[in-house]
Amino acid sequence: MMEFRQLITIGGLTVHYARAGQGQPLLFLHGMLGLVAFDSAFSFLAEKFDVIAPWAPGWGPAKDDLDRMDPGPLDLTLHHCDLLDALQLKRTHLAGTSVGAWMAAELAAIAPARVECLVLVNPLGLWLDDTPGEDPFAVHPGMPSEILFSAPGLRKKYILEGRDKVDAHVDELLALRASAKFLWPIPDTGISRRLHRIKAPTLVVTSALDRIVPAPYGPTWQAGIVGSQYMELVGTGHVPEMERPAVFATVVSQFILAQPQTRAS
Amino acid sequence: MKFHWFNLMPWPHLPDDFTTRYRSVWVDVDSRLFDARKANQVYNDYLDLLEFAEELGYDGLGINEHHQNAYGLMPSPQLMAATLARRTRDASILLLGQSLALYDPPTRVAEEMAMIDCISGGRLISGFPVGSSMDDNYACGVNPATLREKYLEAHDLVKRAWADPDVFAWNGKHYKLRYVNLWPRPIQTPPPIWIPGGGSIETWDFCAAHHYNYSYLSFQGYVRGAQLMEGFWRRMETLGQEFNPYQAAFAQQICVAETDAEAQRLYEKHARYFFSRCLHVHPGFADAPGYPTEATIRAGLTSQMAGQSSALNQATTLSWREMIDLGFLVAGSVDSVCEQIEKLALGLKCGHLVCLLHFGDMPNELCRYSSELFARRVIPKTRPFWDEYTDHWSPQPMPRETRAVPRAPSRGAPNGSAKTTP
Repeated sequence: MMEFRQLITIGGLTVHYARAGQGQPLLFLHGMLGLVAFDSAFSFLAEKFDVIAPWAPGWGPAKDDLDRMDPGPLDLTLHHCDLLDALQLKRTHLAGTSVGAWMAAELAAIAPARVECLVLVNPLGLWLDDTPGEDPFAVHPGMPSEILFSAPGLRKKYILEGRDKVDAHVDELLALRASAKFLWPIPDTGISRRLHRIKAPTLVVTSALDRIVPAPYGPTWQAGIVGSQYMELVGTGHVPEMERPAVFATVVSQFILAQPQTRAS
Repeated sequence: MKFHWFNLMPWPHLPDDFTTRYRSVWVDVDSRLFDARKANQVYNDYLDLLEFAEELGYDGLGINEHHQNAYGLMPSPQLMAATLARRTRDASILLLGQSLALYDPPTRVAEEMAMIDCISGGRLISGFPVGSSMDDNYACGVNPATLREKYLEAHDLVKRAWADPDVFAWNGKHYKLRYVNLWPRPIQTPPPIWIPGGGSIETWDFCAAHHYNYSYLSFQGYVRGAQLMEGFWRRMETLGQEFNPYQAAFAQQICVAETDAEAQRLYEKHARYFFSRCLHVHPGFADAPGYPTEATIRAGLTSQMAGQSSALNQATTLSWREMIDLGFLVAGSVDSVCEQIEKLALGLKCGHLVCLLHFGDMPNELCRYSSELFARRVIPKTRPFWDEYTDHWSPQPMPRETRAVPRAPSRGAPNGSAKTTP
């Protein structure tokens, strides 16, 4: 199991994060559901990197910090810069999924000097009128995150099993509340105007069975980030870090470890 | 007890297979089902009914706000209030209400309500609901995470704009206005404020703190409403509020006929139209993530585990008798309805009854019949409830004889040929 430590940042917010592994640092920014069911992917990544996985303000143990964040990118990005400062990391590899991929892209665009390599998995934040994707926030409240998975029943397996049903369901709804704050009413965050600032070698990943971020978004992100690469994962929905943790970790690791500057250091 | 005649203004032409062919009456309801030429008749029928209700002596004429909704054709209740202000003389204009967080700047609401209060001679009741998730978040795009704080800030701004005679600067979190200076200003200082709500304790505390009327607007009727209202009154007591039934209002579907059997024959199909077609809402639009508070989420999940449905359209499968027994409808002969209203009044302890005498696709004539029976034969018997209390939540209009009298329309001249003589 991931063990969470606490860290007081200069912003007065308490950051809960897990850290494990050896090697170069890799900051992972989680998706809509937070770090739930991330243990397996975390372990795989920790075989190659010094992995740092924080709960973002508004999610999980930091749920009450949501009010401290404006819906735009600035508060979140400065928070992540503060976190890197507190961890004494001048530069780090950076990976994110879903809404976390958007946060990662913002960090790489607003503070490009802090990011070594960047991996964006099923990133939200752009909007294509012709390919809107399904609305993750207009679903039956009895199974609110079902839409994130590639098949019925997987939500139950990853989100509910082994937990008190009401607690798990409340946490799920609160995680979606935080996600919605940054993506309401449509997930056009304005990142398109900042993508040119991203200097890190970047890999964009989409998932073939993702109902939220359909395939055309991959090439769109790739086109906005100079020199970036793009690939599609098969057999998984919006949350490959839960559904296919080994594949997810391999894709992230192989890309980062293949970059010249990573190999040199 | 006071009786307000309220109309949601539903679209009466939804097809028979609406609930199977379409997923929702609200937010993404197919606009091809709307016909603007038919709406010409629909709106005028509904306004006629509201005006007729004043002739029958109802205390207030109720209207409200919905967006992208086929059971509520009033995106702007202010427009309805404006015409009622001109065409009626005595009834309160129960604007129940305006979702404050939808308007930027919210001083627009303060301005419009001031205009209505001036035109009507001080007959306005201003309702300030947070608003439903369907309206606020899905139809109007307000971020659910910030909806409540915007609402509360807008409320403070509107109240100050009504009260402060000086130009002031408003440096809020969501609204920044260098010069706030309301023109026109309301006659009432301020108009009575009613807070429509669905049962959250935060709303109750808000009503207590400001001494506002709490209006429980559900479509589930007075039997289920009694439990919730008991919670409200307990909370008021805990907060040290002196009991006054006029601090609460309750909305109830009502229909009256000469006999119980006639009531079923006349009204059942229109009630079914309302409970099934009008309340057919896609569950995904019920609560945007962040709209309910954590406490409300937890309470809701716990009651669902206990088998209680929170679906709006839960009366769909009930028999006529069950609809009455469970309180979804107050219906029957004059005597039956009197009996049910007595139970309602005593059970809920509310002084203001918002009478939903029109529902679903009920035709104009039938609604007049029911409204008239209720006014002439039910209200006289049930009005004495709560006589011993003073109502602090109704308007204080200008004396009737000092109010402006709108010019009567000229009826004689054919269209377009009216002559104006200087």
